[in-house]
Amino acid sequence: MGKSSDTRYIFSTGDLYQKDFSIVFRKEDGNFYLPIKDTRELYCFNEITLSTKLLQLLAKVGIVVHFFGYYENYIGTFYPKEQLLSGRLTVAQALAYEQNRLKIAGPIVKGIAKNIHFVLYHYYRHGKSELKDYLDWLRKDVSRLADAVGDIKQLLRIEGEIWARFYQTFRLILPESFAMNKRVKRPPDNPINALISFGNTLLYTKTITEIYHTHLNQTISFLHEPAERRFSLSLDLSEVFKPVLVYKTIFDCVNNRKITVEKHFDKKLNYALLNEIGRKTFIEAFEERLNQTFEHQTLKRRCSYKQAIRLDGYKLIKHILEGKNFVPFCMEDKK
Amino acid sequence: MNKPNYNYAIVFYDVGEKRVAKIFKICKQYLKHYQKSVFRGHITPGNYLELKGKLKKAIDPDHDFVTFIQTISESSFHEESIGNTGVNPESIII
Repeated sequence: MGKSSDTRYIFSTGDLYQKDFSIVFRKEDGNFYLPIKDTRELYCFNEITLSTKLLQLLAKVGIVVHFFGYYENYIGTFYPKEQLLSGRLTVAQALAYEQNRLKIAGPIVKGIAKNIHFVLYHYYRHGKSELKDYLDWLRKDVSRLADAVGDIKQLLRIEGEIWARFYQTFRLILPESFAMNKRVKRPPDNPINALISFGNTLLYTKTITEIYHTHLNQTISFLHEPAERRFSLSLDLSEVFKPVLVYKTIFDCVNNRKITVEKHFDKKLNYALLNEIGRKTFIEAFEERLNQTFEHQTLKRRCSYKQAIRLDGYKLIKHILEGKNFVPFCMEDKK
Repeated sequence: MNKPNYNYAIVFYDVGEKRVAKIFKICKQYLKHYQKSVFRGHITPGNYLELKGKLKKAIDPDHDFVTFIQTISESSFHEESIGNTGVNPESIII
């Protein structure tokens, strides 16, 4: 049975154009119709020809397109003209950045710790008792440390330590071929780093799309420095979802041998890049996780993880405009 | 009791030759083309009304026949298929 998803990943070469107010992807073996009303995002991983006529239509209905280069590197996003604009919120968001940045960045760091704890606790319960120190540290110390910091630099140091110690635990839960010494980016230098980079990029782009559907300004971020030329708010909001979406997908794929070093990585590049089958397998697992639903405790209804990302955006708006405490998504509380 | 929230639909149509292309054009905006004259996919209740209205206008009510089946989600029915579909129109990876 087909899985329902409003996202399409295009891996073949072909032309993407508009016909009858809808999208058609024409490739060698025929036309592929994408329903315009049930599409939210497109990912382009190959050489694809687009026309401005299509872009016009996409802009009108607010479909976001992400482009990737030959080495899975993120090139950019076709970001339709903002439809949800709010000057009031933008001003308030900038003010919040100036005045109480820590009030938003702090909870994000605590959220990361909580979600990592949730993910790793599963392994602890199944006999990995070496994790205990780290888990205790996450549960007891991080929140205290995060509350005590005076500026953003100290907070970032804590965040760095959380991730560094998290990577250390990989040798306990992943097979040896996926062991990791150090997180290396741009470019990643071994299979596990490649998986993390690819997963993070996917999550990052997903978050851009979700933020697009809120009134938030993508360039004003709180934990990360609001740098030029990038949508840094998406880095902030995606952070707490990394353990539950990216890393759980990785653990699932690797431990259940859906992805192996020999079969799913490019040998020519020292196994530091996923090959096409690897990418597809990973994307499928990742999409499935995104569309999985859980019972949301505040909303009292089922909600998918993808929706949860947008809900975090709404929470941020509530905090900025109404001063409600910002508590990012937490796996344990399911809200 | 609230009415259930239908979010998934299957549409079959049997229409005169002249109007086939017309119906196809309308359906493909909303749903995925599953079989020759069958569309199905995720659809919001609002979009469903829109689709139904458009189709109503396009068909000739004396000769054409269109059926809509609505379910809560794609996991609320069981399905079996035999034979070869060629390209799968519902896959998330093209």
